[in-house]
Amino acid sequence: MAVKGILEAIARFIEKEHILSCKEDLICYSSDATYHNAMPDVVVIPEEKREIIQVLRFANSERIPVTPRGAGTGLSGGALPVRGGIVLATTRLNRIIDIDESNLYAVVEPGVITASLHSEVEQRGLFYPPDPSSLRVCTIGGNLGHSAGGPRGLKYGITRNYVMGLEVVLPQGKIINTGARTVKSVSGYDLTRLMTGSEGTLGVITKALLRLIPKPEASMTFMAFFDSISLAADAVVGIIKKGILPTSLEFMDGTTIKAIIQYKSIELPEDADAALLIEVDGFESEVKRQAALLMDVLHGSGARGIHSAKDKTEMEDMWNARRMALPALSRIRPSTILEDATVPRHQVPIMVRAIQGLSIKYDIPIGIFGHAGDGNLHPTILTDVHDKDEMEKVDKVIEEIFEIALSLGGTLTGEHGIGVSKARFLKKEIGEEGIRLMRAIRNIFDPNGIMNPGKIC
Amino acid sequence: MKRLDSLLPPERVSLFEEDTLCYSFDATGIEERPMAVARPISTDEVSTIMSYAYERDIPIVPRGAGTGMSGGSVPLNNSIVLSFERMNNLIDIDASNLIAVVEPGVINGHFQRDLEALELFYPPDPASMDFCTLGGNVAENAGGPRALKYGVTRDYVLGLEIVMPDGKIALIGTKTQKGVVGYDLTRLVVGSEGTLAAITKIFLRLLPMPRAVITLLAVFDSVDASARAVSKIIASSIIPRTLEFMDRESIKAVEAFKPTGLPTTAEAVLLIEVDGSPKAIKEDTDRIASICIAHKADIQVADEPSARQRLWEARRAISPALYRISPTKINEDIVVPRSKIPEMLAYLRRLSEDLNIRIVNFGHAGDGNIHVNIMTDRENAEEFKRAGDARRKIFEAALKFGGTISGEHGVGITKAPFIPMEMHPASLGMMKAIKRLFDPKGLMNPGKIFEG
Ligand SMILES: Cc1cc2nc3c(=O)[nH]c(=O)nc-3n(C[C@H](O)[C@H](O)[C@H](O)COP(=O)(O)OP(=O)(O)OC[C@H]3O[C@@H](n4cnc5c(N)ncnc54)[C@H](O)[C@@H]3O)c2cc1C
Ligand SMILES: Cc1cc2nc3c(=O)[nH]c(=O)nc-3n(C[C@H](O)[C@H](O)[C@H](O)COP(=O)(O)OP(=O)(O)OC[C@H]3O[C@@H](n4cnc5c(N)ncnc54)[C@H](O)[C@@H]3O)c2cc1C
Repeated sequence: MAVKGILEAIARFIEKEHILSCKEDLICYSSDATYHNAMPDVVVIPEEKREIIQVLRFANSERIPVTPRGAGTGLSGGALPVRGGIVLATTRLNRIIDIDESNLYAVVEPGVITASLHSEVEQRGLFYPPDPSSLRVCTIGGNLGHSAGGPRGLKYGITRNYVMGLEVVLPQGKIINTGARTVKSVSGYDLTRLMTGSEGTLGVITKALLRLIPKPEASMTFMAFFDSISLAADAVVGIIKKGILPTSLEFMDGTTIKAIIQYKSIELPEDADAALLIEVDGFESEVKRQAALLMDVLHGSGARGIHSAKDKTEMEDMWNARRMALPALSRIRPSTILEDATVPRHQVPIMVRAIQGLSIKYDIPIGIFGHAGDGNLHPTILTDVHDKDEMEKVDKVIEEIFEIALSLGGTLTGEHGIGVSKARFLKKEIGEEGIRLMRAIRNIFDPNGIMNPGKIC
Repeated sequence: MKRLDSLLPPERVSLFEEDTLCYSFDATGIEERPMAVARPISTDEVSTIMSYAYERDIPIVPRGAGTGMSGGSVPLNNSIVLSFERMNNLIDIDASNLIAVVEPGVINGHFQRDLEALELFYPPDPASMDFCTLGGNVAENAGGPRALKYGVTRDYVLGLEIVMPDGKIALIGTKTQKGVVGYDLTRLVVGSEGTLAAITKIFLRLLPMPRAVITLLAVFDSVDASARAVSKIIASSIIPRTLEFMDRESIKAVEAFKPTGLPTTAEAVLLIEVDGSPKAIKEDTDRIASICIAHKADIQVADEPSARQRLWEARRAISPALYRISPTKINEDIVVPRSKIPEMLAYLRRLSEDLNIRIVNFGHAGDGNIHVNIMTDRENAEEFKRAGDARRKIFEAALKFGGTISGEHGVGITKAPFIPMEMHPASLGMMKAIKRLFDPKGLMNPGKIFEG
């Protein structure tokens, strides 16, 4: 269907000012945090579920692709309209409908920014753990789309662990409600978790029922530097072996540390080969005990320069340094390609060394940081996507990273999803049977193939 | 034609009645004789049996320990029971990655004990843990008292090895703490009650062992006071690991069966457990105790294992005690949002009076999961019909309060007729389509979850 026809049809159920079609506007919806681009034909910004139902019914009958979009911070191209068509932006569906303090849940619309949910619930002494580093920008809908994680994933799990139920509009315009207002529920198959992580390929999430927990009473943050990655990795394993499960156990390699220093003249030791950022939380007394144990392990593991944050400002500074990792690395070369390989925790040093080996072998700088506690690393390839020769090498690097991750018992993606970037590697991990099942599931929900085509499988 | 009993060595497959009889029922007492029973020792043997059955259109019913409360492992339709009792190897406990790899026949309680020795912890603790299998737990997405703080089986499954109905072997999920590779097939199989595939290997997430546990028993003279105490505890930012509830009828039943010293005049009992570091939980216990006392409860506190066990005695005795009260017990497993518990319990009491039928309630108050037991007699047609009416009304009420009709026991046979009450036709349609996709011939545990 020609764009003109789409516009006319949509204008029948969405106000004109919430439909975008001029090139300047469309460009704003043609990229995400990857280096890929794809232009939509039309962008709609609905405010009501009713409008979404109408858009989907129309798109389904005309077989026009629809790509849901939150804030577009995704790192696997999930929100890119690779087959054109309609981008459905959730920006205006941004109401926090209910925070139920006695039953510990929140009901939110998908366009709510993750950080605003955090501050709303924290004001009430409650806590919503998932904390992707992009939390000041990204949306709950996008977090659900990828089952996003974050530093706190080590102790608290990922988005999947906090979804109790969803309201979803299916491509034919039907609405389903999954789950219940209770944490436990085993009535039939788990459609809630099937939707979570489905990257907008099965339907549009219009409401989410999220589990909350009480806010931990206290927390403490530490940073430690090491002369070698193995020492840092030993410390990670040592901490867990002591029976401590920190909230976060974040890792940065020497390349990343140097990039951060150059970017924001933060005082970090320039010659360190690795840094760990560690946070523990819980009741005051428990936090103190864990802190003491942690110090023992760090001293015993040959860490140098162990710092503990004295107050909230110092704590924020440490986290800012960590959150700076990606922006800082992205300054070094024209493009950054960030991967998301995850390996069993004890394989982290082997993985890191293998990636450093690839960096030397192909002569391409790679910075590595990530959530060491759960084995989730973000090797960040610093390159120039317009340099064709180099990109050929980059492709090989990515392929080898995945092969190594899988051979170490790991996975392609810990938290960023498959999207377009990893679709071609999926079969390696899940095999023919896995692919067949996923395609068929997709076909059940979306027989006309309009929902975010080109993603996952 | 190749014979079934030639596929495996004779001690692992049988068509004889004396062998199949033991596999014809579960904890619901529903009974039906299978055609045969197979007790494979490896994934390959499972695959062999399943492809044999697939070619001949014979239904397969996976079975753990048969402790299921909704008829999940009862072999309807003259099927082959695939019993996992011999696939009970603990393949690996990896303390540095906090991951365990087990075969599905491992008994939950044995696993817990092995982990304890290594100071590790696997939270899901169904009350049947001394018998039930981890495979059965995964297939039912079992919960247990500790679910309040730690979540249910689903939250601990990282990945699975499964055998598809046609015998193909597939690995789903990951062996890492995190993973978002495509659709979450793992959680689709978790809780699928053996209707999609057979589970042959399980990758589980572990936690470090909590350093200490304190148990507190509080006896209340009104249900309402106990419910208000529950809300107050949660509102004061404490998440106990356990917050179990018993009503007057269950207290009476237990004291008649095996006296534990509870006052039979009590209206409600809460059994509360907190875990963590000794100092922190001491503070928690003090706070909980003063909340309970403010609600006029008598309390007992224990931190030594044997004393703690004593406080658990009454709670553990409920199930067996209830079998003594009346010939038939209809066990329901509803969940309501926590704040609706007082209303739900008041409703149940009225219903019991209106229909003149005994209803006994206990369960996991902290997460709103109430086990409602309708005490009746199948032989008394008139009363049994009233019991049936009570059931439907109970489900309606749970759903009206925003809850669910099955919190942890699954749908199986007993709740299948009621699923349309909770589920939109569209959702149900999706589920049936998923079922057909995994199992186009409809051979995996037919008659479960979906009616007809
Ligand atoms: C600097 C930086 C740091 C990051 N750190 C982390 C991190 O620590 N952990 C982590 O997991 N990720 C991280 N990310 C990745 C990204 O922020 C997350 O994946 C986030 O969840 C995406 O949210 P979004 O609102 O931007 O979604 P988008 O990118 O707009 O969309 C993501 C996917 O969700 C789908 N989607 C969006 N809304 C809906 C809806 N309503 N219904 C159905 N599908 C929908 C889209 O179609 C798409 O497939 C980071 C990204 C950046 C740029
Ligand atoms: C006294 C008592 C107390 C209980 N307390 C609790 C409780 O606190 N919480 C709770 O959640 N449940 C409880 N239950 C219910 C029951 O114990 C659980 O549902 C348990 O998970 C069943 O395990 P099982 O090994 O006995 O499985 P079974 O009863 O043999 O089977 C259960 C279901 O799982 C399927 N299945 C079994 N193994 C496999 C496999 N390897 N692959 C695929 N499918 C398989 C079967 O087909 C069936 O549908 C209790 C039961 C009793 C009798």
